[in-house]
Amino acid sequence: MRVDTLRVCINSLSKRLVAMFAFLLSPLFLLAAADVVAPPKEFSPLNWDWISILICLLIVLIILVIARAFDIGSLTEKITGKTVVSWNNVNAYAAMVFLVLGLIGVWYELVYHGKYLKLDHSASEHGSTLDSMFFWTFGFTFFVFIVTEILLFYFMYRYRYNEKRKALYYYHNNKLEVIWTIVPSIVLTFLVLRGFTTWSKITSDIPKDSQEIEVFAYQFGWKARYGGDDKMLGNSNFNFISGSNPLGVAEDGAVVELIKELEGEVSKIKLKQATAADSIKVWKAGYDRMVATGLDRTYPEDFKAVKERYNDAVSGGYERQLKKDLKRKNTALKRIGEYQKDKDFFDGSAKDDRVTTEIVLVKGKPYIFKFRARDVIHSAYMPDFRVQMNCVPGMPTQFAFTPVITTAEAREFKNNAEFDYYLFCNKICGAAHYNMKIKVTVVSSEAEYNTWLATQAPFVAPPAAEVPVAPAAADSSSIVKKGTVAIK
Amino acid sequence: MGTAALHADHHDHHGDHQHHKESFISKYVFSMDHKMISKQFLITGIIMGVIGMGMSMLFRLQLAWPDEQFGILEMLLGKWAVDGKLDPNFYMGLVTIHGTIMVFYVLTAGLSGTFSNLLIPLQVGARDMASPFMNMLSYWFFLASSIVLLSSVFIETGPASGGWTVYPPLSALEKAMPGSGLGMTLWLSAIALFIISSLLGGINYISTVLNMRTKGMSMNRMPLTIWAFFFTAILGVLSFPVLLGAALFLIFDRSFGTSFYLSDIYLEGVGALENIGGSPVLYQHLFWFLGHPEVYIILMPALGITSEVISTNARKPIFGYTAMIISLMGISFLSFIVWGHHMFITGMNPFLGSVFMILTLIIAVPSAVKAFNYLTTLWKGNLRFTPAMLFSIGLVSFFISGGLTGIYLGNAAMDIQLHDSYFVVAHFHLVMGSAAIFGMFAGIYHWFPRMYGRMMNKPLGYFHFWFTFVAAYLVFFPMHFMGLAGVPRRYYQFTLVKEFEVWMDVNVLITVAALVGGFAQLFFLFNFFYSIFKGKKSVQNPWQSNSLEWSAPVERIHGNWPGAIPEVYRGPYEYSRPDREEDFFPQYIADDNSPEVLVPEGETVVPAAKDPEEVESSVFFAAIKRVFGLS
Repeated sequence: MRVDTLRVCINSLSKRLVAMFAFLLSPLFLLAAADVVAPPKEFSPLNWDWISILICLLIVLIILVIARAFDIGSLTEKITGKTVVSWNNVNAYAAMVFLVLGLIGVWYELVYHGKYLKLDHSASEHGSTLDSMFFWTFGFTFFVFIVTEILLFYFMYRYRYNEKRKALYYYHNNKLEVIWTIVPSIVLTFLVLRGFTTWSKITSDIPKDSQEIEVFAYQFGWKARYGGDDKMLGNSNFNFISGSNPLGVAEDGAVVELIKELEGEVSKIKLKQATAADSIKVWKAGYDRMVATGLDRTYPEDFKAVKERYNDAVSGGYERQLKKDLKRKNTALKRIGEYQKDKDFFDGSAKDDRVTTEIVLVKGKPYIFKFRARDVIHSAYMPDFRVQMNCVPGMPTQFAFTPVITTAEAREFKNNAEFDYYLFCNKICGAAHYNMKIKVTVVSSEAEYNTWLATQAPFVAPPAAEVPVAPAAADSSSIVKKGTVAIK
Repeated sequence: MGTAALHADHHDHHGDHQHHKESFISKYVFSMDHKMISKQFLITGIIMGVIGMGMSMLFRLQLAWPDEQFGILEMLLGKWAVDGKLDPNFYMGLVTIHGTIMVFYVLTAGLSGTFSNLLIPLQVGARDMASPFMNMLSYWFFLASSIVLLSSVFIETGPASGGWTVYPPLSALEKAMPGSGLGMTLWLSAIALFIISSLLGGINYISTVLNMRTKGMSMNRMPLTIWAFFFTAILGVLSFPVLLGAALFLIFDRSFGTSFYLSDIYLEGVGALENIGGSPVLYQHLFWFLGHPEVYIILMPALGITSEVISTNARKPIFGYTAMIISLMGISFLSFIVWGHHMFITGMNPFLGSVFMILTLIIAVPSAVKAFNYLTTLWKGNLRFTPAMLFSIGLVSFFISGGLTGIYLGNAAMDIQLHDSYFVVAHFHLVMGSAAIFGMFAGIYHWFPRMYGRMMNKPLGYFHFWFTFVAAYLVFFPMHFMGLAGVPRRYYQFTLVKEFEVWMDVNVLITVAALVGGFAQLFFLFNFFYSIFKGKKSVQNPWQSNSLEWSAPVERIHGNWPGAIPEVYRGPYEYSRPDREEDFFPQYIADDNSPEVLVPEGETVVPAAKDPEEVESSVFFAAIKRVFGLS
């Protein structure tokens, strides 16, 4: 009787299963048939996507079917009273399988991806202390990781449910708890102390003779500024930023030019304000004419623009905008005027500054990077040098370090003749964030550096007879010509 | 006891209304019953989770195959993916909204909102929350907030796209990126609504736990879930207002010309020229003053759920109940004074950085205690692998592997190299993302019978667990290595820098694993919604659990218990007591012959070290063993 019931049950269920399979597989058959009848002429992403989605869905549904099959198993269990699948054991064994595969995966990652880390090749002096700290921390955490994960999954297997056994009634053990509070505390104290001294050394121990280089971030690029012949960086201020002076360097000539430019714009705006009533009339007439002649329907795009301008003018938006612009320009003029009074601010040290599109450093020489940002927060990130610092508008920041591996040496040990150091942006800053970088070159001698610096034009070109400008510098020197280069 | 008398009165009053028919609106929509509100939170949270996860799958496609064209992207996103290629601005938008949804909408409201609402009254023995009306408002503010946030995806200029932390000036200046326009306004409005919801909920949770416990439910008899929800609520109430302040300042800067966060900015000719004197770093301090406790707001409920589920299914008292509470308390306290570790390299004073480093590494100690206590609870247990148990064990695994990398990041010196790299992505997705979502799954599988009176399908739960668990490790483990090699996060593609090309195969692996993991959630979704209607009927106490919520009838009545509220006689973790025949001893069952806590006398309570002889109970394994000649 019992067996009969079981047979009937399984029969009906297996029929259902076959039907489900057929139903699930039908889209694949259809796709295959479509492929044979009309093979696609070219690769079509849309088709590919649909097929992959279908396949994914199919896999999921097949697993649903398997789950259904297990339901039959549980039905059988109910009827026959025998356990077909002990899920508890399946999971316990799965834990062991996961543990073994997981450990193999960890090993594989360490061997295969670990080789890209270059942790023994820090290109800066402080970087090697960081790397050694990394190894200590890694040793400690990896040990804990392996031991605890092995215990976790082994316990899953070892202590799986057995109805004949009772769990240990064990709720508390002071000695144990003290041990695993104290031991991590000691290890952490060690790590904290090391971190503390390293961090203080990196951030505060700055050699007196460090050369200053200004690194300037903007959407979406970097510029560097070298002190020039006097090795002194001139002052700068965001109010001085203009097309010909992208870093806002405090230099008399550039600022006077900017004032002229601003005054010109002010008078233009004033003119527009004076003739605003007439302009509005003209625009209204244009609008009316388009409506009257039916051009509004012939050229709807043009009409849209005309209408917008008209509406804006009528609602007073046009004049408000003019007023706003005027106020801005006047504010800028006023602020620049105030700075101009401060003669110390314009001490002339900016004249020979070199604004460059590449950073060149000398091996073994201490540097201090002074960071500025023009618009939003950026972050100067040089992973090879273990250097990172945010560039914050309105708040100067800095990072001091000493490069110890030249670009040529790095190319050698990396076995890559095209390798270059880069400084990346590492703080989300807009659409082209992912492509905001500047090349960093480390040369081996002061002479090489000087040759390079000579090709970079000073901020204010000295009389042509004195310094011959190298032809290679033609591009970067264009910044001295007014208004030719504006950062996008 | 005053409270008990009050409850008794309430009960009488309640008895009259037991068969009173509620209207559809008052029962399912504007419900004031904590159980219904918890379901509302849960289902909204699940929907938000599906959206958030779907977004991550879209941008993973971009990261793995930057040169490929995906028809599905164009189909879904229209002008944001012309010719199947994701727009860089929208990529940022997806990253931002993915983070916001996951952190706030799924793991804060979806997790804490669901289980605090469901479990606090049921586990402390109360008829409902202290203020059911505020509770209802909390859900409706949350829903409004979700709708506002999602609506920002559909506007012309796209959603907020400055990362989920929305640092100004990027988020303050409309000209800096398209997403900082209307999208950002909507983001800020959504967050303001969210904070209101969170505060209404949090105040309610705290007052319910403190005032409405049943007779005998002293604080030291509360399940660890309640302790966790209690601390979580306190953290939320103390820190969310600060975020509101930060958001308010940002709104002022954006719309009313103030300069809290702006100074010295030149953008597109004029930009924010008028704004001087503010500091962008001020925003970061305010944001992370919430942001760091927020991490624990996400994690602690998951830890609480795990404690309960592991103890129940290991049939063993949770090891070190008091230590667990103390470590929760320690974590809660410390979480308020470590926010600076998110800002080591923002230009903050380096000395301040060292202070934050020391405080941050101290927080590792209570976390370690928790992990060891979980392991000891499993040791010599009698483990029943329900799906909830598996997810809890998964949480412990993630908590360890993700927590350990926190030691690297909390160290200011090492943070120089690792800040904003993929190492950070790996770290927080394991310890906070995966761990917390596993806690949420554990909670759903465990209390589903309590919520719907039906059981979820077990085999589907197992498939769900193993697929998700393996996929999560495959996604996040390799990211550590990318981060150590200096690959920055939030990059739209890596093909433009030669050095990153070696990571392309890793990106493909991660994306494939993410897709598999994403589709594995279909097991859960099917199982969840199917079981609501067609699942096997549950018995009253399906997991033979000790805590109070299982003393309520399967029919989820308004007021929770038909008669008087049960009294509580002992702690919630008295499993496998040697003096009891059964391996559990519910809190609500009186037995004068059994002492409250059985004091183990030396080693005598340790049962025979040898296990009873293994009898193969499974036909399946018996067959396999026979085939391979193992038996």
